[in-house]
Amino acid sequence: MRVRRLIAVWTAKIVSTVCRLSGRQGVTLAGRIALKIDPRILADLSSMVREKIFVVCGTNGKTTTNNLLCSAIESEGKKLVCNHTGSNMLSGVTAAFVLAAGDNGKLDADYACIEIDEASTLRIFPHFKPDYMVLTNLFRDQLDRYGEIDITMDILDRAMKMAPEMTVIVNGDDALSAYLAMKSGNPYKTYGISEQVFKEQSSEQNGHEIREGRFCKNCGARLEYEFYHYSQIGTYHCPNCEFARPKIDFDASHIDMSNGLKFEVEGRQMEADYRGFYNIYNILAAYSAARTAGLALADFDDVLKKFNPQNGRMEQFVIDGTQVVLNLAKNPAGFNQNISAVMEDEKPKDIIIVINDNAQDGTDISWLWDVDFDRFAQESIRSITVSGIRCQDMRLRMKYVDIPSELIADVRSAIEARIKDGCGNLYVLVNYTALFSTRNILVGMQR
Amino acid sequence: MKITIGHLYPDLLNLYGDRGNIQCMRKRCEWRGIEAEVREYQLTDSIDFSNLDIVLLGGGSDREQMLVCEKLKTIQKDFRDYVEAGGVVIAVCGGYQLLGHYYDTDDGRIEGLSLVDLYTEQGSPRLISNIVIENELFEQPIVGFENHGGRTYIGDNRPLGKVKFGYGNNGKDGAEGILYKNVVGTYLHGPLLPKNPGVCDYLIRNALERKYGKSELAPLDDSQELEANQYIVGRFC
Repeated sequence: MRVRRLIAVWTAKIVSTVCRLSGRQGVTLAGRIALKIDPRILADLSSMVREKIFVVCGTNGKTTTNNLLCSAIESEGKKLVCNHTGSNMLSGVTAAFVLAAGDNGKLDADYACIEIDEASTLRIFPHFKPDYMVLTNLFRDQLDRYGEIDITMDILDRAMKMAPEMTVIVNGDDALSAYLAMKSGNPYKTYGISEQVFKEQSSEQNGHEIREGRFCKNCGARLEYEFYHYSQIGTYHCPNCEFARPKIDFDASHIDMSNGLKFEVEGRQMEADYRGFYNIYNILAAYSAARTAGLALADFDDVLKKFNPQNGRMEQFVIDGTQVVLNLAKNPAGFNQNISAVMEDEKPKDIIIVINDNAQDGTDISWLWDVDFDRFAQESIRSITVSGIRCQDMRLRMKYVDIPSELIADVRSAIEARIKDGCGNLYVLVNYTALFSTRNILVGMQR
Repeated sequence: MKITIGHLYPDLLNLYGDRGNIQCMRKRCEWRGIEAEVREYQLTDSIDFSNLDIVLLGGGSDREQMLVCEKLKTIQKDFRDYVEAGGVVIAVCGGYQLLGHYYDTDDGRIEGLSLVDLYTEQGSPRLISNIVIENELFEQPIVGFENHGGRTYIGDNRPLGKVKFGYGNNGKDGAEGILYKNVVGTYLHGPLLPKNPGVCDYLIRNALERKYGKSELAPLDDSQELEANQYIVGRFC
């Protein structure tokens, strides 16, 4: 068994290195090969983690939350395993452990922080039972792969039952996630924002923004909301049964988004210098998870200051004097939050939207019509360029909210054009498979 | 001229970009100087079909369809009278299934409206694909995306089109959707109407003819719509 593991580890490392040298992301391939050679490798390596294993699930915010959780745990002087690149299915998760193992086939780690694609939990949990699961939120996403949001909930429900001792750290402001945790029988802790942040929501936001789970999962009655933060995230209760937003263990208050993000939790002041209301939830999720596991997080302020949500999450570049921000948006809730983050910047700006429909994106792009693109009809938006495989659908989407856009199918040409003739402030919004290639282009151009 | 579009239960039936179908009808009316009003109905609202010119019934999950189907029993008679009198209906995915007699699922039977002679049975796997269909009624092929567990059987009824690529009603008989009087039922979302302006105008024209006895739709510049349509046809056929 030991020899098998050694061969698997070495082979995976070679595969990963070769792929990286040839400019490809070989992480999932390395994991797949390692599992072929030694089917027990994930179970064996994960059992060597000395303290706790965290997994992060949920439609949006997995990668940022998980990376921040890693930084927080590392700041405590701990060693850990993490799938930083966001490869979050069975082979990607396996690769994270295998590539972290030493040449002797052993793992030297105190903690593991692993983000997992919801649908993959049932394939991964037979290999190890996590101690903690962070559940960020549930939105409609990649429906062609999952069928429907109900199916995702059913999968997560079964996953929680497979690991009954696992403590769930759940976003209590999302009725769908909270319901799952509350009825699972697993121990759980909650995080949330009890104060109303957006006093005057625009009517289209109020009236038309897509909200999941308007109806009580427990009894079917229409949930009543005191207020919404965004999408279905807010403060709710069922008028018909006992289901209601749970008591919040980690409650963020004194939210201030006038310059970056500021808020308080457990009487501690949090500060981050990037935009996006949703990032408060990401910070809160990582903080709550580490605190639930008993970590003191004495240097969390410092962690937040140094933390740059990379990998195309509000990632910043400077190219020929143009400020470029790259941001991933792969579903309506994520895109609407992205639009809010872009509009928080009041300076003139150019926008490029890149939409692909490869298998990992979900080949169904109907979700584009559930995004509130009409909010781009503002003075400060100088131009909108549509690009990527489904740029024509994106152009049509803009046409039906009376916003003209220019079509440049090739992503590099689109970026070059706006750097040449744009206003020096460029946002590039991309969906999943467009992220890696677009980021490579931007990294190359910055050099 | 004015048309009123009734959007049935958008809280529950809004799964696959149905907002795009509404937006498309609204804009293609407005661009021609036709007023378009959209009324959204919730489960608790009562519906006066005599005020409506187009009814849109969208897609929802099986569970949500189950919730809607209870309510539908109470409007079944009014809805049927509307359809028989030539009222325009566009029903997509779950909404399409609800037009028929029933949808048999593993969790039991969802009773339909019986507005159109069709029925649906759950099958496995889900039929998920880009799809292209053809019908002489329309100049361009109709393109979209389908994602359904149900297999629908329409008997001798007229389909919306013949499948060129994808699965269609049941993946077997080559038919997709249904045309019955002024009802269009289909599994195509994506959403359906923006990339198929011919289908959108067909609905608007039928609604205007029923209401005003005549309809002349001014031509629009559909070059962007048709390019997006042709891209799908070129890629898959």
